[in-house]
Amino acid sequence: MSTSQLLYRCHNLEQRYGKHLALTLPSLTLARGEVLALLGANGTGKSTLLRLLAFLDKPYSGTIDFYGEKGIAPRRQATLLLQEPYLLTCSVYDNVAYGLRVRGCSGIQERVEAALVAVGFAPQAISKRLWFELSGGEKQRVALAARLALRPLALLLDEPTSNLDSRSALCIQQAVQQASAAGMAVVIATHDTAWLHSLNARQVILQENAW
Amino acid sequence: MNFIAEGIAQAWLLLCAFDPETFSAVQATLISTSYSMTAALLLGLPCGFVLGYCDFIGRKPLRLLSDTLLAFPTVLIGLLVYAFISRQGPLGEWGLLFTLEGLAVGQTVLALPIITSLTAQAVENLDPRCRQTLLTLGAQPLQAAWATLREVRFQLIMVGLTAFGRVVTEVGIAMMLGGNIRWETRTITTAISLETNKGEFAQGIALGVVLLGMAFVLNVALTLARRRGQST
Repeated sequence: MSTSQLLYRCHNLEQRYGKHLALTLPSLTLARGEVLALLGANGTGKSTLLRLLAFLDKPYSGTIDFYGEKGIAPRRQATLLLQEPYLLTCSVYDNVAYGLRVRGCSGIQERVEAALVAVGFAPQAISKRLWFELSGGEKQRVALAARLALRPLALLLDEPTSNLDSRSALCIQQAVQQASAAGMAVVIATHDTAWLHSLNARQVILQENAW
Repeated sequence: MNFIAEGIAQAWLLLCAFDPETFSAVQATLISTSYSMTAALLLGLPCGFVLGYCDFIGRKPLRLLSDTLLAFPTVLIGLLVYAFISRQGPLGEWGLLFTLEGLAVGQTVLALPIITSLTAQAVENLDPRCRQTLLTLGAQPLQAAWATLREVRFQLIMVGLTAFGRVVTEVGIAMMLGGNIRWETRTITTAISLETNKGEFAQGIALGVVLLGMAFVLNVALTLARRRGQST
């Protein structure tokens, strides 16, 4: 892998919550545009690793080198979709636009609409709906649209299709395919391996950690 | 039982006739509570937010102190503030004793721990995914703090209304610091107390009806805010 393509290089990662060892990972690399599937039983540290890659937590030990755009904080170049996403208490449009607004981006409306289309919504029909008027699947798709609108270098997804009906799951799969095709590095923690083949995902199986 | 029924009937007459003394008490109440609520919200909301949102050394003891002050006896508040603003007190030269401003100081001391503690609690109870979401969407720390404040806005409305309800119905502080001066510092609660002692039930009941009306409006607002907050 050439250095220009490399996005993440993790070395001897270890994460602990108190005395509990949540993750051990000797090494991991991820290139731009690559799709990586994190597999493993519950409690093996998939979500923990995603939080580290999203720069929401600092590792207990080890290093994460990020080769993104210079001058922009890594946390603004990698974004995480939680397993149960949280929507801000405002309209769908404002939820998707939030990340763009805090970055001071221009062309917000176009980017919001494009992101909503990418997850299978008609922007005009959904934009003004409020957070509590959405179903679970719609919330998941809106939350994904909020991440896609940012056009991050790394898109980190924690169980994105769990508890979704087949239609919502398909929308998410298609959006992830488009993101990957557009050059985003995508990391997916999942138990659902069926749809990973269509993404040509590299698979990493995390092992259970000793307590 | 007759005197109660007569009192209620006379109360309506007083209210319908816009009895000046009754409305003077209502006006004094609204003025003092608007001063005190403004001060308590300006001080209490930021303090409560910091206590609930930030992690710093000494946070837990401060939180405990704030919670303890929720049970601050109102008579003691009246006594302490009286000591400060009476002529011999350190703030005596400001001439606050037996004025609406002096009364507002006491009400502010009463409302401040309520607003601080309940704000801190509202922020602490916010879904932890909120902060993670804000950060992963690229918010800087101050932007995330502002958005968090926005996320608890319905709970903060309830905090404000709860404190207002407590302040507007308080009688001990109003009596000690306001002095219950007719046309000046006589509030609804002190007037009810006085009129009852005099046996003037009509005016007492009329003022009670106004207080009840305020409590009703407050309760409706609280219910609406709570319903909106529960939709999150």
